[in-house]
Amino acid sequence: MLFEECAAKREISERLTGLFESSGYSEVITPGLEFFDVFNGYVRDFPQEMMYKLVDGKNRLMVLRPDSTMPIARLAATRLRDEALPLKLFYNQNIYMVNPKDSGRDDEISQCGIEILGGQGDAADFEALVLAAKSLAACDDDYRIEIGDMGIFTELMAEYECDPKLAVNTRSWIETKNLPKLDEVYSSDNIAESDRAFAEAFKALPILFGGIEVLKKAKEYLHGEFFDMKLAKLEKLCRDLSEVIPEEKIRVDLGLLSRKNYYTGIIFRGYVEGYGQPALSGGRYDRLLGDFGRDAGAVGFAVNVEAVARVLLQKDGEVFKKSPDVIVWSENPVLALKRCAELIASGNCAVNSVLESAEQTREYAKAHRIKHVEIAENDGNITSEDM
Amino acid sequence: MENRKLRIALTKGRIEEKAVSLLEKIGYDVTDLREKGRRLILSIPNEDIEVVLAKAADVITYVEHGVCDLGVVGKDTIMEHGGRFYEISDLNFGKCRFALAVKKGTDFFAGYGVKTVATKYPNVTRNYFEKKGIDVDIVKIEGSVELAPLVGLADGIVDIVETGTTLKENGLEVYEDVAPVSARLIVNTVSMKLKQERVQEIVKLIEENIQ
Repeated sequence: MLFEECAAKREISERLTGLFESSGYSEVITPGLEFFDVFNGYVRDFPQEMMYKLVDGKNRLMVLRPDSTMPIARLAATRLRDEALPLKLFYNQNIYMVNPKDSGRDDEISQCGIEILGGQGDAADFEALVLAAKSLAACDDDYRIEIGDMGIFTELMAEYECDPKLAVNTRSWIETKNLPKLDEVYSSDNIAESDRAFAEAFKALPILFGGIEVLKKAKEYLHGEFFDMKLAKLEKLCRDLSEVIPEEKIRVDLGLLSRKNYYTGIIFRGYVEGYGQPALSGGRYDRLLGDFGRDAGAVGFAVNVEAVARVLLQKDGEVFKKSPDVIVWSENPVLALKRCAELIASGNCAVNSVLESAEQTREYAKAHRIKHVEIAENDGNITSEDM
Repeated sequence: MENRKLRIALTKGRIEEKAVSLLEKIGYDVTDLREKGRRLILSIPNEDIEVVLAKAADVITYVEHGVCDLGVVGKDTIMEHGGRFYEISDLNFGKCRFALAVKKGTDFFAGYGVKTVATKYPNVTRNYFEKKGIDVDIVKIEGSVELAPLVGLADGIVDIVETGTTLKENGLEVYEDVAPVSARLIVNTVSMKLKQERVQEIVKLIEENIQ
């Protein structure tokens, strides 16, 4: 990554960390090298084959951090166990994962995100969503935030009581909106009369996406007290959110599920025009902290900083192409650096020429689009030339 | 950023003509698609759509990265290649099947030895035998897979079977079916959300015209 790409990336992380900091979040940095076990538990099973692994001096299996949420949950349950909840934390660090070869995806992803650990669930969910929307808005006007709820699918599956393998497959079919497969497996010929309602719900989840009105339509497929409560909560969340951001930015997708096993409640994604994958993702995870020994719910999200930076760069590339205002050359290096210091103090970007002659400095200035050359003479005079 | 046209990627070759006919049936002017010459990006007059022609696996790649919004690709490629996209409908053409084939008259599962299977589709083969709980050695072959059992490299092959003529001519037969295959309509996950109306409108038109 070079020059304006770095500038755009830094700009995005500054906007985001600034936003998080001013909202009262505290920064944490977790180790880049983590114990394998942190990502390999009952609730937290990160796919083995997607982690970079190595061994430490004591022959323990280590991984390059593939996710920041699990280490932060561990932090909250160990070093921060005596800190009162809720804890509001943010991070700005890289994660690493093994993508399929030649897929054009980076194995190193820089993420900026937050976690709200503890607190009253609905209030924390709302805060996380507002902050997610603000994060996207801070980067690009053309964004959408999309909300779903993992709990709906989990509850359906628990009531349906099917073979766990079918449950995993069904989740993946719903997630990929694989309607042909769902139609085939859950066709009325295959399903007992008593289970038809589940089949209809599984087939409906992937198509229940769009504006907030989708939640009304969902009531045709999801019956019972639990689902009424869930849908009402989601609707309230969306309505509240529409007080803060324009309603057309809010999308609902009840087929939005995650391969990440730790999500238990709301789950959300952020999209920006110009990037073919979600630029933000997050959700509620109420069992992860318990898995590390501290019983508390939590919600959080992460923004893919490079993805957003790339979009920003495409739209607004010129802003990040910066060259110095002045280059200063002198026979006497002390004079040159003194003059640079003066220029910098008055708000310029000044570069000290470490070249051999004034002529070479002029050539360099032309090549690097530096507009002024200053020569600091030994007698204290300064001559300025426009390039 | 300019609001680009909705872009559909079609798989070149076997299922291309059927896909073009489907677009024609919807009422699109497909003259450009029929007389394409060597062009790879083609427009549909009077519509806010352009069509891209690519190899099957590339259709998935283009859709996955979001540079194409929709794609028409065989289930065979989806099963082998995988990826993150919505697999929204079965187009009901380009129908064939994956099958395990052996030399005529042999019993693939006879004995306890680990069997060797030759295939152009190692992932499909691995998933299939994994599901059956059978340990096999898989050999990736690039060309005519039928040759492998004939020269003694493999006990069987997993390949796409349409009519079975090639198998027959080489003294092979289908031992069992692995999975049915047909053309699918896939959609980029972000396009589905950011351009929901336009995408759903086309998906609806396509679905109404599936034979």
